[in-house]
Amino acid sequence: MKLFQNIFGKDSGIDIGAPVTGTLISITEVNDPAFSGEILGKGVAVIPSDTRICAPVDGTVSTVFPTGHAAAVTSKEGAEILIHVGLDTVKLDGKHFTIHASEGQEVKKGDLLLEADIEQIKADGYDITTPVVICNSDEFSEFHMAEPGTVSQGDHILNLKK
Amino acid sequence: MKEFQFTINDPVGIHARPAGLLVKKAAEFQSKITISGNGKSADAKKLIKLMSLGIKQGMEISCQIEGEDEETACEAMLNFFKENL
Repeated sequence: MKLFQNIFGKDSGIDIGAPVTGTLISITEVNDPAFSGEILGKGVAVIPSDTRICAPVDGTVSTVFPTGHAAAVTSKEGAEILIHVGLDTVKLDGKHFTIHASEGQEVKKGDLLLEADIEQIKADGYDITTPVVICNSDEFSEFHMAEPGTVSQGDHILNLKK
Repeated sequence: MKEFQFTINDPVGIHARPAGLLVKKAAEFQSKITISGNGKSADAKKLIKLMSLGIKQGMEISCQIEGEDEETACEAMLNFFKENL
C-alpha cells in the first residue's frame, strides 16, 4: 500500500454513499444482533424515508437476493458492501420489493438497485432500518462513520481505509 | 475430501445471523469448504455468495471440505449446522 500512496499521494480511503435518503444511525443501534453485534461485518445503518435504494459506490453488483430485500455491491477498490433493507425482511419473500439491477452489472454511485415500498413493509410489522455492512471488514483497518442524522441518497456515510 | 448432507431446520434458512456465524466458523479452518444447495454452490468463507444461495428451511445442502484439516473441519461444520441451522 505504501507504494500506491507514494504514487497517488495521500490515501483518502473509500467513501461510501447513503444508498437511500433517511436517517443515519450507528450499526450498534440496529435492533437485530446479527447486525448490531457486527457478525456480518462493520458498518452503519440508514432508516429510509424514501423508496429508492441505490448503489453506494461505483462498482459491480455482486448479488441481488431473489427476494429483493438485499443487494451487495463490490466497490472498484474491493469493499463488499451489503445493503439489507429492513430487518427480518427475508420473510416477506419478495413482497413490497422491486428489483432494478442484476448480478454482475456495473453500476455508478446512485444507480437504482431496488425499490422498497417502505410504508407497506412497516404496515406489515417490519422494522425498515437498513444496515449497510462491509462484509469483508477484516480487510480494512479504519472505519469512520459520518455524523448521524438526516442524509440524502449519495451523501457520505462511511469512510474505509485498508 | 469429506462431505455431509444436512436438511435446514432454521425458519429463515442460511441468512443474516446464521450465515455470518457460519462464515466465522468456516474461516477457522485451512480447508476449502463449499456449500451446495438450491442448484448453486458457494465458498463457505464468502458471506455474500453464501447468503445469495437462497437456502431456505426444508432444503437439503451438501457441505464439501477439502484440505489438511478436513477431518476436524468436517466434524466442526456438522456440529455447527446441528446447533445453528
